[in-house]
Amino acid sequence: MIISEQWLRELINTDLNAQEIADALTLAGLEVDAVESIGTSLEGVVVGEVLSKEKHPDADRLNLTEVTIGGDDNLAIVCGASNVRIGMKVPVATVGSKLPNGLKIKKSKIRGQTSFGMLCSEAELGMADDSAGLLELSDDAPIGESIQEYLNLDDVLIDIDLTPNRGDCLSVTGVARELHVLVDAEYSPVTINQADVVSSEIIKVNVQEFDACPRYLARVVTGVNLDAVTPLWMQERLRRSGLSSISPIVDITNYVMMELGQPMHAFDKAKLDGEIKVRFAKQGEKVALLNDTEVELQNDTLVIADANNPIAIAGVMGGSESAISDSTADIVFEAAHFTKRAVAGTARAYGLHTDSSHRFERGVDPLLPEKAMQRATELCLEICGGQVGEIITQSVEYSEKPSVELRFERVRRLLGMPLERDEVEAMLSRISDNVTATEDGWSVIPPSYRFDIERECDLVEEVARVKGYDNLDDRLPKLIPSGRIPAESQVNKRQLMNTLVALGYQESISYSFIDDQMRSDFAAGEEKTIPLANPLAENMSVMRGSLWPGLVSACQFNLNRQQDRVRLFEVGAVFHDDGEIQETDRIAGIICGPVLPAQVHVKKAKSVDFYDVRADLESIFSLTGKALDFIVEQREHPALHPGQSAAIVRNDSDIGFVGRIHPNLAKKYDLLTETYLFELDMETLRSGFVPAYESVSKFPSVSRDIALLTPSSIAVDDVLQFIRSIDCDDLRDVQLFDVYSGEGIEVNKKSVALKLTFQRIDRTLTDDEIESYTKMVLDELKNQYSIELR
Amino acid sequence: MSDTLQNLDEITAAAITEAGQADSLSALDDLRVKYLGKKGELTTQLKNIGKLDPADRPAFGGMVNQAKKQVADALGAKKEYLELQHLAASLAADAIDVSLPGRGQQVGGLHPVTRTMQRIEDIFTQMGFAVADGPEIEDDFHNFEALNIPDDHPARAMHDTFYLEDGHLLRTHTSPVQVRYMKGQKPPMNIIAPGRVYRCDSDVTHTPMFHQVEGLAVAEDISFADLKGILTYFLRQFFEKDLSVRLRPSYFPFTEPSAEVDISCVFCDGEGCRICKKTGWLEVLGCGMVHPEVFRHVGIDSEKYTGFAFGLGVERLTMLRYGVDDLRLFFENDLAFLRQFQ
Repeated sequence: MIISEQWLRELINTDLNAQEIADALTLAGLEVDAVESIGTSLEGVVVGEVLSKEKHPDADRLNLTEVTIGGDDNLAIVCGASNVRIGMKVPVATVGSKLPNGLKIKKSKIRGQTSFGMLCSEAELGMADDSAGLLELSDDAPIGESIQEYLNLDDVLIDIDLTPNRGDCLSVTGVARELHVLVDAEYSPVTINQADVVSSEIIKVNVQEFDACPRYLARVVTGVNLDAVTPLWMQERLRRSGLSSISPIVDITNYVMMELGQPMHAFDKAKLDGEIKVRFAKQGEKVALLNDTEVELQNDTLVIADANNPIAIAGVMGGSESAISDSTADIVFEAAHFTKRAVAGTARAYGLHTDSSHRFERGVDPLLPEKAMQRATELCLEICGGQVGEIITQSVEYSEKPSVELRFERVRRLLGMPLERDEVEAMLSRISDNVTATEDGWSVIPPSYRFDIERECDLVEEVARVKGYDNLDDRLPKLIPSGRIPAESQVNKRQLMNTLVALGYQESISYSFIDDQMRSDFAAGEEKTIPLANPLAENMSVMRGSLWPGLVSACQFNLNRQQDRVRLFEVGAVFHDDGEIQETDRIAGIICGPVLPAQVHVKKAKSVDFYDVRADLESIFSLTGKALDFIVEQREHPALHPGQSAAIVRNDSDIGFVGRIHPNLAKKYDLLTETYLFELDMETLRSGFVPAYESVSKFPSVSRDIALLTPSSIAVDDVLQFIRSIDCDDLRDVQLFDVYSGEGIEVNKKSVALKLTFQRIDRTLTDDEIESYTKMVLDELKNQYSIELR
Repeated sequence: MSDTLQNLDEITAAAITEAGQADSLSALDDLRVKYLGKKGELTTQLKNIGKLDPADRPAFGGMVNQAKKQVADALGAKKEYLELQHLAASLAADAIDVSLPGRGQQVGGLHPVTRTMQRIEDIFTQMGFAVADGPEIEDDFHNFEALNIPDDHPARAMHDTFYLEDGHLLRTHTSPVQVRYMKGQKPPMNIIAPGRVYRCDSDVTHTPMFHQVEGLAVAEDISFADLKGILTYFLRQFFEKDLSVRLRPSYFPFTEPSAEVDISCVFCDGEGCRICKKTGWLEVLGCGMVHPEVFRHVGIDSEKYTGFAFGLGVERLTMLRYGVDDLRLFFENDLAFLRQFQ
């Protein structure tokens, strides 16, 4: 909300300057976003009078005028505005002045005629975005006076970003009242003169929903002057508050809203059928609104209706049918109290956010409609004239807000500082006129406009706020540590991430919502989607079921930016719907390009392959303390190359996938064909072991190399696992050192070369023992797989 | 005997001269054989001993041995010299250009947001806070209702919530973790909860996903003064600067009193610059004392216990810490950007 310093000072008397006022408001929770001086660049622009006017000899649209600004000599000025006429008072930008739009006024020749200045429009003075012609000043404007002074343009605009609990400050009155509380400045409320009732014209009011509308006031004013224009001072105040001038009557309602905080509305009486009803809409009823849209109403929407049809959405927006027009002579002013609850969801439900709904949603003073109606009437008579009818009111009686108790001890305890009793009481008394001391504190009846004071903690905040947060104590407490330190057996998440970092991976973070097509391209199978009901864009419309889409997009982004080697990983949640939504954390990676970054020692860059990414995974697996628990098992995945993909299995459950991207997807997403992906479930991955010591043998180990003729169909890892499972305590290690097929080996066979290492804890093994162990291994292999020694 | 002695001297002199002239280890070895070997010239001198007067024999034997030692020393000295020379030559031959870069993998790096989050965690855990987490897909109760944001509350409009079709929502802040934690534990408790949050808003200064760290401390006598003290300590540690910290009243439905926290601008030290919009202050987080209504929802007696909560934006702190001026860079995953945070 933007308010004018000039306007504010009419209601509050303080020595603080605009910046100091802004600082006081900010530090009290009414955050000032900007303090902007206006009207500072209009030096040399003065009030002038047009003395003569004749057509420019060489330009149809231009006039030659003679203008006085009070000096001895009149100024010859060429003017292009169509509304220029003799006797008119206008702003004159004299030679040497500079306008807010940057234009410097110089003596110039326009189509051969010399011009000594410029006659200005509102837009040229920076008072409006655009304007049709010259700004016509009133006839009594003193010739020669600076425009800045004459129009009171020297002003400071204070832009306040109010929190939703402080709807009471959404007006000049509200801010003035608040300053009174904060800096103890003298506050004088707007004086309102009651107009005499001279007409018998009234409109019947029929409130059917007092819960939603506890108070409704309507007043008819007939025979207003159709030629009236909004006075410049009012236009200026509205403009400075960010509101545009529309018509005198509408301007008056907006002015009262800005001044007092009561949103008002005006109807064209001629368009109303009989009475005014405040009721809920009938389902499907339609109303055409002022913003040129027609909405179909829900039956929980409070509306203002005449005898037959809705004419406004209560507290949100008026209808176009009953709107004030150029020909409206008889007016119905509305000033009502709609409850927060009645308006709250409505504006959002219809996508309408108006100055009115903004205020009602936050709470408007229920005692305000009377004052606002009187004020609007007064202004209407002043500007448009007319015959004032009686105010018709339907309301429930206002009952004071329940009192709120504040315990002195509680203030001190919550704020953690020793305050004085008197000090607290003085602060409370500025907030409310109704403060009573009690045995252990005070009882406060909040003012009708303070919707944010409902319980004790609210008053504690008021005390803190008025005291100033800066003046409150601070201390560093000793906290009792809480929660449990992660178990040692859990692989530390940071360690996992750091391991990948050490292996050359860069961490990326992608959005958790993705494109649905991409989701299904990288899904492990048919998966139920989890769509957003209100996505921002098509490519961010469903929750991710895998981290791969994000990594693929990031990879593609980087390949498009001349990166030829990408290694990325991400840690984050993925989402699945198996009747209930499951959220699981995963760690995933993508690699492509050369194994090693370009460097002087590597002459021929080798592109990554399956075993590079597998090695990275093995590093991660070893963090658990039992790398051998992880089995890489040939398994197809729709997103992976069928010949180069594997499931990661740990203790018989699948924990992830690794493999080369499917060529079709590589092509579709502009990736290198040799791109490898992995993804692992974090929770199962992270469960590890606390190391358990085993004695280290002091006796030498002995190794035997064997080459096995193995059927091609048998996975080498199966053979290794089988050997490891053989019951032989002294077999310490099995290392694979060669796999070979081709010349010298039968078709459908491969040679698998292994190193078996034997060692015993309590003595050196004999040759005979080693021979017999080796034989045992060979026999077992023969029985299990028909594998022979080569 | 003098002939024999003269002969001995001559041989010795020749051997020493030759040793001096030898230019390789193999030449030295040949000289050793020639003079000191079994059939070497000096060794064979002893054969002449029989021709001498028995009285002269011991002296002659001594002199031969003396001569042999002289020659052996000369050869040894030369050998040591040649070996040193040889080593020097081979060291010179092995010299490399150490200015060339090393071979192998290049380390990667963590995302700047993670880096900041870890730093935040480190500071708070050091103060006695535990790290908690909660789901990103939340329900209305935990995200709003239990935090004293009922359905018709204007604060909901500020939250621009993403909804799922079944009515669940993407959490708009990390505050639901407070609720979940308080429901499951008894005070005293001090936790932080870092994580992703979502709001359907996207422009220059908003991304639809970002990160927050929630903080909560509940005990019998936690006060606003504690909140002020802890946040001041945290901010000074985080920025490694003795900066000014300012609390301003604000409004969050789940805290009362509530505050926004400003720090003196880290770019201009509070002098006023473009980044702090000439104010000298930067808004960094929101906080307050846990609202009794929140305590009621989680079954904690607000008469017995008091607590504070705060929520800070990780991207915001990351930007201020590293001078990043465009929020959107965080989720583009441009390696040129990410590598700056290794």
